[in-house]
Amino acid sequence: MKRTVDVSIPVGPVHPCWKEPARVKCETKGEYVLSAEVELGYMKKGIERIMKGRPWQEVMFLAERVCGICSVIHNMVFIEALEAISSIPVPERAALLRVVVNELDRIQSHILANFSYCYTIEHETLGMYLLDVREKVMDELERITGARVTCAYIVPGGVRFDLRADDALHLRANLASIEGEIRRYMGMFENGPLIALRSRGIGILTREAAREAYAVGPTARASGMPETDRRLRHPTYQKLGFSPLSREEGDNYARIMMRFQEVLQSIDLIRTCLDTLPEGPIRGGGIPGAGEIAYSGEAPRGELSYFIRTDAAGRVLDISIQTPSIMNIEACCHYMLKGVASLADVSSTFVSSDPCIACTER
Amino acid sequence: MSGYLYEKDLTSMKYAILTSTRHDRMVREIAAELGIPQLRLRRYIMNRFDMLLMENLPARYEQGKRLVEEAPSPERDLRPHLYSRAVPLIAEEEMDHILSRVRELMENGTPRDDAVSAGRALIREAIMR
Repeated sequence: MKRTVDVSIPVGPVHPCWKEPARVKCETKGEYVLSAEVELGYMKKGIERIMKGRPWQEVMFLAERVCGICSVIHNMVFIEALEAISSIPVPERAALLRVVVNELDRIQSHILANFSYCYTIEHETLGMYLLDVREKVMDELERITGARVTCAYIVPGGVRFDLRADDALHLRANLASIEGEIRRYMGMFENGPLIALRSRGIGILTREAAREAYAVGPTARASGMPETDRRLRHPTYQKLGFSPLSREEGDNYARIMMRFQEVLQSIDLIRTCLDTLPEGPIRGGGIPGAGEIAYSGEAPRGELSYFIRTDAAGRVLDISIQTPSIMNIEACCHYMLKGVASLADVSSTFVSSDPCIACTER
Repeated sequence: MSGYLYEKDLTSMKYAILTSTRHDRMVREIAAELGIPQLRLRRYIMNRFDMLLMENLPARYEQGKRLVEEAPSPERDLRPHLYSRAVPLIAEEEMDHILSRVRELMENGTPRDDAVSAGRALIREAIMR
């Protein structure tokens, strides 16, 4: 409902620090933000509508195109949902290779999110350092899957390409280099006085608010909710002994540090996969059939859910995608931004929740 | 200038969000429980919520239902948290007032089911007002 207020300040839809367009209407009292409201609709794709009625072989490519940053997890969740519907087994080597590629995707997404935050708080040096590291991760993704984004690596019953021995060696070497650099930049972020001024105690999301808005991913885990990590329920991650990380502060600083910590965790997970990677096939075969399922996976930004109904020929009759950004941006605008002391903190708080408008407007 | 540059009529986009599979299921469930016509409920939601809150409604609704299951009676039956916080159809103060009215009815000997029905009628009245 439209309301008349003293000062209504729109931020966006085009903002130099945002990757995608959204309009945040802030109601303010001086510099103090009383509330915020969001308008979307600047880049609606209607991808769910396009998917309906198409065979799974086409929808698996469309699913990746929901988001260009975390395309691997869209591919993975869609294919694993089909496998669950039709009880298609996955060879162990393929299951571990899926984790390797998914974690590489998570690393590059987290680094990009932290770059955006550093850029927004005017710490361009650290931002550019982070982008430089991200390129190494993108190179590894390309080496394994053949593409930087929209890799279509995961197929029903396995993965498309095997990991060659020399590629595994290269990956290990690159992981060591990435880890060293991330630790250095994490230290810069952790101890930077300017960063602390712009980040600590700003944009606080309490555990209760996170629970109410159903916040997910690093945004929720930075507010003390480790149980929101869907990897806890994934059989391959369970075999790897995965346990989620969390922080208690719930502010901008905690969300960025959470992502740094998760990058290091992902590096460890990839190393464990490489250490335990068994010999064997990477594709077991299997044809998706009729069924209905709600299936979730842990995207870099949090819980990604696909609600799918298919027919006997594997055609997608109905599909609904719940992306993590929907929950996180909502939590950001209706809880974190409420009470922000300065308008200058609106854009940085918004970016700290790693908003993906492409996902939200799928 | 007579209006904001970007102030657009969002009705059609909001309606598109509300008619997606999961939103539609949620609206039907709430409408059936509270005895409100679905069209009326959709219009109420479109007038009251911003686009992002509307996008997030199914997740909030499911989470709200889970939280309500842990609550004692009559909260579990009337689901005040669900309709004032998770899917904020009515203001918290108004919901508190309805809840205290239901408790009062129960204390005066009204059977629990009848008191809850009376509470739902008050919620319906608040939405249809």
